[in-house]
Amino acid sequence: MNEYQYDHQTVKGFILSSIFWGVVGIVIGLWISIQMWNADWNIAPYFTFGRLRVVHTNGLAFGLGVGAIFGIFYYIVMRLTKRPLLFPKLARVHLWVFNAAIALAALSLFAGMNQSLEYAELEWPLDIGIVILWVMFAVNIFGTVIKRKEEQMYISLWYIIATVVAVAVLYIVNNLSIPAGLTKSYSVFAGVNSANVEWWYGHNAVGFVFTTPILAMFYYFLPKSTGLPIYSHRLSIIAFWSLIFGYLWTGAHHLVYTPLPDWIQTTAIVFTIFLIAPSWGSVVNGYYTVGSDWSKMQSQYLTKFFIWGITFYGLQTVQGPTQALRVVSSLIHYTDWVPGHVHMGTMGWVTMTTAASMYYIIPKIYNTEIYSVKAANTHFWLVLVGQLMFSVTMWITGIQQGALWKATNADGSLKYTFYETLIKNYPFWRLRTLAGVIFTVGMLFFIYNILMTIRKGSILAASKA
Amino acid sequence: MADHFVDDIEKFEAKETAHTLPVGWVILFWALILWGVYYFYMYTPSLGGWSQNSALEESLQK
Repeated sequence: MNEYQYDHQTVKGFILSSIFWGVVGIVIGLWISIQMWNADWNIAPYFTFGRLRVVHTNGLAFGLGVGAIFGIFYYIVMRLTKRPLLFPKLARVHLWVFNAAIALAALSLFAGMNQSLEYAELEWPLDIGIVILWVMFAVNIFGTVIKRKEEQMYISLWYIIATVVAVAVLYIVNNLSIPAGLTKSYSVFAGVNSANVEWWYGHNAVGFVFTTPILAMFYYFLPKSTGLPIYSHRLSIIAFWSLIFGYLWTGAHHLVYTPLPDWIQTTAIVFTIFLIAPSWGSVVNGYYTVGSDWSKMQSQYLTKFFIWGITFYGLQTVQGPTQALRVVSSLIHYTDWVPGHVHMGTMGWVTMTTAASMYYIIPKIYNTEIYSVKAANTHFWLVLVGQLMFSVTMWITGIQQGALWKATNADGSLKYTFYETLIKNYPFWRLRTLAGVIFTVGMLFFIYNILMTIRKGSILAASKA
Repeated sequence: MADHFVDDIEKFEAKETAHTLPVGWVILFWALILWGVYYFYMYTPSLGGWSQNSALEESLQK
């Protein structure tokens, strides 16, 4: 067994890096949640809401999310292709470049450099760095898949390929801009075009960072950890291709009731509603898989992470399309239900599935067991309660906000001032901070468990050597 | 090569149900496509006649 050849060091490096950026992102998330109900927590200029929020979103989406995706994809690809990475040294360089890029990204956002495009805030020099980073990743993934030793390509590999291709296209197109100095640029798109391209990017970032890569993990680690085979190959494949086909048309549902042409909004809504089918294809496939032996929910601690994870994915993929409908959008657009929706996805589906994948990988690398199943169970219940509290309080206050904004007097004038609607959010925003604290404590159990497993594994390896 | 480095691809997917599609899911799949055709027709100005502007005008009449 050649450790370097199978390059588990790089996998582990990405997992630990992503956990580090996750801590930064979650702490800042807690901080900005307090700023919502206590403005004294803004410290100008670096620690104001406007700057911290983008560090929170970028830190978690790209630091925690994409970092985990890099490491876990390398692991899955090596095993499904039955060979080491084609360029293990490149993967090691990729790890260092990734951390440097995220650190610079965070610093530039703290400094207030911002393209003013949501989830694409980074200025052009960093964009170029990220494209180089992605090419390094793509070369290794595609190279290894092409030179694979296993002819059959399991469904996870298809999701991995879709992720690598789609993110590249989305990122490059939305970041096309004309530089005006080292830290300032102007987008090549303007007006309605700019909005349409931005949300085509923004929504598919959700699609190809928070959906397809997490499904790749789900389809790989669910059968691996439970020993139960995926129920239907055909369902996996049909759900995959219809998801990929549908997703890229849906971005304009973020622009319902705007100057964007009606037919573009309608097309986006149609495809968004259609996506319920492929999304639930994966949900149903997961349920039927564990349905062959439900006792796994108790006997194998990772099963509930995957089953609850896919359940939140299922709830998300009904909630999101519902919000896209014109009648619902007109009530809840621009309200707190939108971050409520996002966080059920990120805290429920993405983080739960990713954490479970890491629980599987780390002991496997050291050929040992997890440090504490009990701590993992505590982690599970805390993040479940924290996330549900977060989502539900945001739904309630979001619907309340929308209803108050729309309320009119008999003469047609607005019934409430903006300030009156704002202060009604305060109790819910305080509850959200509490929910965030519960979630964070859960994540601390996770991190402790992972670090102790690594410690245990290192001692074990040292005693064998 | 240690055993746990090799995945048995055969074990990932069930044999008997490999080609099964749950009936409820197939109905959902086609129903959503049909609904999409209907909605696209109804809410495209050059087809069903609905438009954001005309809807606004109407709401102001009330």
